[in-house]
Amino acid sequence: MYHKNYCLITGASEGFGRALAIECAGRKMNLILVALPGPELFYLANFIERNYKVEVIVFEKDLTKEEEYMELFKEVCERNYNINILVNNAGLGNTQLFSEGSIAFYKQQLKLNVVATTLLTRLFLDMLRNNTPAYILNVGSLCSFFYLAKKQVYGATKSFIYFFSKSLRRELENENIHVSVICPGSMNTNTSVILLNKKSSWLSQLAVMNPEEVAQIAIDGLLKRKEVIIPGSVNKLFLVLNKLIPASLKKVITNNQMKLLNAVPPRFRPAYIVGLSILDFQHTFQPPCT
Amino acid sequence: MKILVTGATGYLGHQLTLTLAERGNSVQVLVRNPLSANIPSHKNIVVFTGDITNRQSIKSAMRGCEQVYHTDALVKIFAANAADFYKVNVEGTQHLLAEALCAGVKKFVFTSSCGVLGTSVLEPKCENDPRTTGFENDYEFTKFIAESLVKEYIYKGLVTVIVSPSKVYGPGIETHPVSINNLIQRFIKGRATFIPSPGKLLANYCFIDDVVEGHILAMAKGVGGEKYILGGADISYSDFFKTVRSLSGSKATLIKAPQYIAKLFALLQWVQFIITRKEPFATLKGVKSIFCNKTFSSKKAIGQLGYHLTPLEEGLQQTIHFLKTQNNVS
Repeated sequence: MYHKNYCLITGASEGFGRALAIECAGRKMNLILVALPGPELFYLANFIERNYKVEVIVFEKDLTKEEEYMELFKEVCERNYNINILVNNAGLGNTQLFSEGSIAFYKQQLKLNVVATTLLTRLFLDMLRNNTPAYILNVGSLCSFFYLAKKQVYGATKSFIYFFSKSLRRELENENIHVSVICPGSMNTNTSVILLNKKSSWLSQLAVMNPEEVAQIAIDGLLKRKEVIIPGSVNKLFLVLNKLIPASLKKVITNNQMKLLNAVPPRFRPAYIVGLSILDFQHTFQPPCT
Repeated sequence: MKILVTGATGYLGHQLTLTLAERGNSVQVLVRNPLSANIPSHKNIVVFTGDITNRQSIKSAMRGCEQVYHTDALVKIFAANAADFYKVNVEGTQHLLAEALCAGVKKFVFTSSCGVLGTSVLEPKCENDPRTTGFENDYEFTKFIAESLVKEYIYKGLVTVIVSPSKVYGPGIETHPVSINNLIQRFIKGRATFIPSPGKLLANYCFIDDVVEGHILAMAKGVGGEKYILGGADISYSDFFKTVRSLSGSKATLIKAPQYIAKLFALLQWVQFIITRKEPFATLKGVKSIFCNKTFSSKKAIGQLGYHLTPLEEGLQQTIHFLKTQNNVS
């Protein structure tokens, strides 16, 4: 019997989620889009249906609330939608000192980034098993490779996503369910982030990508069954350099920052600045905010 | 009625100001240079000197006005100092909105651009459609931020309406080096004209009289917080110049340039900029979007405002006539 398959994307109404939705629609996938209540989600669904001729179903759900993702799962089952691609994109980012964040904020962040991702994957697992080959794309972050001040909880939740994805992949490989994790660097996802990105150093600006660009790399990687997807050559370079530079040197550099610059002979300064920019992650990586 | 128009020395603002003045409104215009040759002249027009980037300087021009048309903007693809776009298009708009709110202005019409909506996919873009690509230039990006500001002011108590013209052509003053009028002018003078290849790529052209009327309709009937596309005909580059050729009898050659030629051109412009500081009007980043369809639907404005579209042929005829007589005079 023929049945339609759907790709479910969470956090789809703006930023990277929206770019993923448009990218999947461009590849003729039918979509189930999940986002917080608001008109943006409907504008997007309407736009996709008119321009890509695929079916789009929307659910307005707050995925920090357990009852709402339970409802989502129930409604998807009741209406007999077959999901073969699950994209866990919804997430909450921030940049602030740990002491500056409120209890309520961290609770939301953990619930969305960790709990919702885990439990939605668990809920939809049997459905994915029945629709093989199936795919799970989890949205991590380049942050998960670096220990950054002001990104403690965010980075930790993304490390969770990374670990979870890679481990789950080993479990599900034999069942024809392919788990990938994408770790983007900073993206121009919303106005304030774009403005912030424009103010950063040239090297940091080089690393900034548009979400549409990243979405294409993400879905390409997912369908090619890649384990870890790092979009952008500058980001890849950051990662390699991060592994090459010894921890002791990093510590020295980050501790002394620009103070050291004057001590460096002029002809080595460019190299030093490049190194510094790479290590000055706080300014380089803005989390993809959804 | 007393009305403030910003950007009255610009192509669109100039025509709008004249139309409003001719209809018996008292129009106050805010200009940086009171001696500019581009200031429209009419007995109902009062000139105020000021700059929207300086909030204090707009106070007196705003005084007593019931309506504000904000058409002023920094319109180009690239500025040597990118912060200029932000200063004029975002901060300038913010100053006007704040002053309008203080002065008790009844309605504020903001001229944006279809560029904010980006390229189209299958169907013409509508007001609420999302972009499918990132912003290619700071002009479009700053207009986008300004739009969000304009929408925010609804919640502060100022009735604001956004209008978004597409590519405007038609009789009017020349203020921009790469306007549609300019392209038509060069073409009817017999100069070889480049269009993107394939020539069947679509773009949207609106006639200036329609856009001016669209502004006035948006002021009269536009719903606060809403945006209206003021477009025109969706037509391919080939067909557009075919029409111009048949109406003007021009024998100019039309050259279909592939993307790499455009990229090369943008690169040369960039090199020129580095050497001479002459600002480019094509950038590498923007080339890709030139080779995409840019079609827009004016259905909302037609249905809700009674916006009227002059048929392209008729509009072009008037434009060509205007450009030809203007040539003879000068």
